[in-house]
Amino acid sequence: MWRQPSHKGIINSRMTKPSSFISRPSQYLFAFGLITLATAILFALREALDTTLVALLYLIPLGLITAYWGLGPGITSALATFLTLNYFFIKPYYTFAVHRPTDVVILVIFLVVAIVISQLVGRMQASLAAATARELEATWLYELSTALANLHEDHAIAQIVAKQVHEVSQGEAVELNISGTRPFAFCLPGKYSPKRPPEWIVPIEVARGVLGEIRLWRAAPAITSSEKRLLQTFASQGALALERARLAQAESRARVLEESDHLKSILLSSVSHELRTPLSTIKAAASSLRSNEVGWDSAARPELIAAIDDEADHLNMLVGNLLDMSRIESGALKPKREWNILSEIIGSVMARMKHLAGEHRIEVDVPESLPLIPVDYVQMEQVFTNLVSNSVKYAPEKSVIRMCAFLENDAVHVVVRNQGPQVPREHLERIFDKFFRITAADRVTGTGLGLSICKGIIEAHGGRLWAENVPDGLAFNFTIPLAWEGIPPPDLPMEPETE
Amino acid sequence: MSNAPHILVIDDEPQIQRAIRTILTEKGFKVTTASRGGEGLTLAAANEPNIVILDLGLPDMDGVEVCMRLREWTQCPIIILSVRDSERDKVAALDKGADDYLTKPFGIEELLARVRVALRHSASRHGSQNKVIHAGALTIDLAWHSVKRGDEEIKLTATEYKLLAYLASNHGRVLTHQSILTHVWDPADANHTEYLRVYMRQLRKKLEADPERPQFILTEPGIGYRFIAEE
Repeated sequence: MWRQPSHKGIINSRMTKPSSFISRPSQYLFAFGLITLATAILFALREALDTTLVALLYLIPLGLITAYWGLGPGITSALATFLTLNYFFIKPYYTFAVHRPTDVVILVIFLVVAIVISQLVGRMQASLAAATARELEATWLYELSTALANLHEDHAIAQIVAKQVHEVSQGEAVELNISGTRPFAFCLPGKYSPKRPPEWIVPIEVARGVLGEIRLWRAAPAITSSEKRLLQTFASQGALALERARLAQAESRARVLEESDHLKSILLSSVSHELRTPLSTIKAAASSLRSNEVGWDSAARPELIAAIDDEADHLNMLVGNLLDMSRIESGALKPKREWNILSEIIGSVMARMKHLAGEHRIEVDVPESLPLIPVDYVQMEQVFTNLVSNSVKYAPEKSVIRMCAFLENDAVHVVVRNQGPQVPREHLERIFDKFFRITAADRVTGTGLGLSICKGIIEAHGGRLWAENVPDGLAFNFTIPLAWEGIPPPDLPMEPETE
Repeated sequence: MSNAPHILVIDDEPQIQRAIRTILTEKGFKVTTASRGGEGLTLAAANEPNIVILDLGLPDMDGVEVCMRLREWTQCPIIILSVRDSERDKVAALDKGADDYLTKPFGIEELLARVRVALRHSASRHGSQNKVIHAGALTIDLAWHSVKRGDEEIKLTATEYKLLAYLASNHGRVLTHQSILTHVWDPADANHTEYLRVYMRQLRKKLEADPERPQFILTEPGIGYRFIAEE
């Protein structure tokens, strides 16, 4: 028997009737009660009524009994009324003997009509119940498939299927086990399933194998065959959804691979050009030093040596950028965060970039009062190095590169501003894309990766990086949230000077 | 030159071996090379070198492990060679007993400077340590706990002094965050780099002409700090 609260309960109790022919004893009791009541009323009016009329009136409770309580009580009541009709209403009263031939005819016709009515009403009821049950099953399946339609994640699918099985079966517990590369189990209503073995197990199967199983614990009432059929349908719906999810995942993986493949080929062509430039310089300088073309005291000698040194550094920077980019792409760039002082980071970048800045003047304005910021020191250095070297590359010589930082809500806002050419509005976003250049590649050196690395790093820190045109040039802005895992920057009390 | 300092180079790349050997031999050192960790350990035990230059990426074993195995029996300075972006390995090796590090590719002056510092420290480990350290106009007297710029006394808090004394007595060497925090604060504070950042800023403000571009206390990104003093 399906125990369901709400309207479903009524439908359910009817639904099981065709499969289980036996009605409950109470229904027989009600049937007999009704027959007794009808007999009592008819008995009181016995003198006023003709036997034929009594027989006809008896058909009313009979019809009602079959309609409400089914075929079993109906037929039994028909036989019972046949006897009471004979006993109380056909002369001689209080015997089962019949004297008049017409009474015999009445009795026989009554019995036949009563049984036929019971049968007809009963059959109608049964088919109605079956239809209702089918409709309900269809509703449940519809609900399930709608719920599963937009899911692409194994856990969510398992959760929906388990919930539906639990709701419909009203079992003590339902557990959904999914096997495969990342097996997991989902249990309802609690977190843990009962210790005893489940009453029923349905495999979740697709063409290429078993994906998992549904375990159902319900000691009483026992699980009926129609329930089993329905649960199997649920399981196969779940299996289809899981299969679809896996296919979708495989497809998106394939797409990502294809994209990264495409990127790699762009990268290769860009990189081979970029790497060859410093290599050619090194090769030319080194080979001319080796040959006897350049004399020991020639003025060209230190210049050639400096070229080799500089280009080797440049090459090292290119390789570093490539590594960083591949790390960002593969999601391996995890900042090693610590509480740091922004001005210390900027200071060490400035010290390192002294010779790269060339003729540009760099001004730094970072207030002392700025709190500590939760960043990866090395990665932040990289961000400043790339932003400044980008500015150095594009802004005219002797122009000013200004760096400033200030507090803004719950973040530190940093601006690196140069007096270089402005960027067309439609390209302001795109300059952070890999390999995107406004100028022709051969006019400026670099991998075209610097800014996208900055973006990757800032975003890994939970911040935002953007560019905007300012009256005399271009400004890079970025923000770094101050809170780190919900903790605000520490405030350290300073001790007094003792000596 | 039988008294020439002996340097053992453990690196699997023949070009690096060749370059280092050429330059160090030219500078008057005795150089032995090994291309595997196991071989390096054997050579170290046989020759007792004055300095070991150790690459972290070896084919047969982890450089950090070589470092630990060496430290089981010798205190000879170990200089780590590694590629960029392996800060974690570098810090691990330094915390496991390595003395210094160099990131590949490196300039030869850097290598020679590291070697000189390492030799000085291994000498001071045996002999008496220099109690007065000069850095630019700064004079740090470790015996008298005094810090002066010229003749002018610089006032430091107790922690600032402890920090400076630790840095200065190891001048030239890189000191990891963890080792500084453990020495100056407490082993329990080894993860509180923010203490270090804040005190370092205070210290630089008192010692450096331009605290944003320090001359004496240098930051080693992702690793620690290094104090630069006169030899």
